[in-house]
Amino acid sequence: MRRVAVIGAGMTLFRRRLLETGKEMCYQASQMALAEAGIELTDVDAVVTGSAPDAFDGVHMKGEYLSDGAGGVGRPYMRVFTGGGTGCFSAIAGWWHVASGLADICLVVNEEKMSSCHPHPQTAFGHIWDPILERPLKPNLIWIFAMEMNRYMTAHNIKKEDIARVAVKNKRNAVDHPCAQLADPNITVEDVLDSEVLAWPVQRLDISPPSDGASALVLASEDIARRYSETPVWISGVGWCIDSTMWTNRDLYFPEYVARAAKMAYGMAKVDDPRRDVDVVEPYDPFDYKELHHLEGLLLCDKGEAPKLTREGVTERDGELPTCPSGGLLGVGNPIAATMGIKVGEIYWQLAGKAGKRQVPGSPQLGVCQAWGDLMQFSSVIVMRA
Amino acid sequence: MADEVRRWRGDMEAYYIYTAGVAGDRFLREIRDNGRLMGTYCPRCDVIYLPPRIYCETCFSELNEWEEVPNKGVIDAITVAYVNDKGERLPQPLVWALVRFPGARGGLVHFVSLPEEDVREGMEVEVVYRRTGRREAAITDILYFKPV
Repeated sequence: MRRVAVIGAGMTLFRRRLLETGKEMCYQASQMALAEAGIELTDVDAVVTGSAPDAFDGVHMKGEYLSDGAGGVGRPYMRVFTGGGTGCFSAIAGWWHVASGLADICLVVNEEKMSSCHPHPQTAFGHIWDPILERPLKPNLIWIFAMEMNRYMTAHNIKKEDIARVAVKNKRNAVDHPCAQLADPNITVEDVLDSEVLAWPVQRLDISPPSDGASALVLASEDIARRYSETPVWISGVGWCIDSTMWTNRDLYFPEYVARAAKMAYGMAKVDDPRRDVDVVEPYDPFDYKELHHLEGLLLCDKGEAPKLTREGVTERDGELPTCPSGGLLGVGNPIAATMGIKVGEIYWQLAGKAGKRQVPGSPQLGVCQAWGDLMQFSSVIVMRA
Repeated sequence: MADEVRRWRGDMEAYYIYTAGVAGDRFLREIRDNGRLMGTYCPRCDVIYLPPRIYCETCFSELNEWEEVPNKGVIDAITVAYVNDKGERLPQPLVWALVRFPGARGGLVHFVSLPEEDVREGMEVEVVYRRTGRREAAITDILYFKPV
């Protein structure tokens, strides 16, 4: 397989409702990524797009619909979709286009226009549940996460305030992100604990918001990357794994499928000791407890240890293991697939030394990003090197 | 009772409020307020997009120049519909056409105010708008194409 580098990234604002259509958002993000890479659309060999359920935008065959805004017209083009896991998975699909030799330059564009869906995007989320066994009970999708969160807290005797610290850290980190929707420089643990209870133990400020947004990456083969970029960031390892949709089959306290995806990616990247070697990490954080769950799934600490690391400041931007320095989904926003900009995009910017005010100290060399989705059963992981 | 076990009724109850977008907003306003078709021009590729876009899909230039497209175009493709979107018989057949406009890349689809036997490809037609004051910045502000 050929080496593949990220040489450009771009993203739109993340907002509850943007004036741009999905296609227009795709165009804006793509143009930013192409400009950073110093290339034009005519240099692109293939395009991969990623987007979550069609039911958010209210357009069936969203991949086809977005194609002209994503630069796909007249080229090999495909859409991938693994729910929230698309946030890293479309970049993996872009990687295999280049690694295989099929394309020298692949543009990856992710998009979500959740504002179209009314009365709330939750209406679409509701149809992830099994239509026979679960839908008749009229659950909100938050209920399933509330159970997972509670199981995690119970298994390890974790206090709610230790989970709330994640929301505080990320919403404060997001103050330095120019695209952020829910940054808050003054938020406290008490604010999170005092916010509206939605489904215990999930409260309003434990959750990321629905958003509109798009993001893009330019992936290139080694010779192209070296020609166009002084700071290419290499995709060293990729991994992904799905567990059963019969989520009742597994113990919710630990995401085994994340660990399997992580092992696959670490193995390919020849990372023997991730706890020693990983300098910066962007785990998927649509809920505050998910950052903790995913740090453990990514094997970056022991099971149940992530809240302690958070409490001790290890996961702060200037800590030993900077975690979600972008501000994450909790602070920047959660336009499902488009979160690629704060996962893969952020690790690219961090390792290229281009993260500006968000830059973690000590010129990080090894970064990991991860996304998570479908019916809390799928994970995608990418290991990147400066 | 057997039937009750075999099936469960459900519906996907979402409704949608779509975003017209940067280009779509101007396009629809121009129809409502000025009764004219406006496209965007790509100087690099020398094409006018109709419907307008803020980008050129070929070279990805950002398009800021707006050009009026004539209200008269030429029928490029036709169908005569006998059933509606639910598969029900229409009381009268509807003639539906793709119309292209001089100098523009793209085109518009809409109804044609002619009996099916009188419509031909290559026929010159013009846009008929809803009366001023009744327009609501929607594609339905165009009522139909009529022969020139």
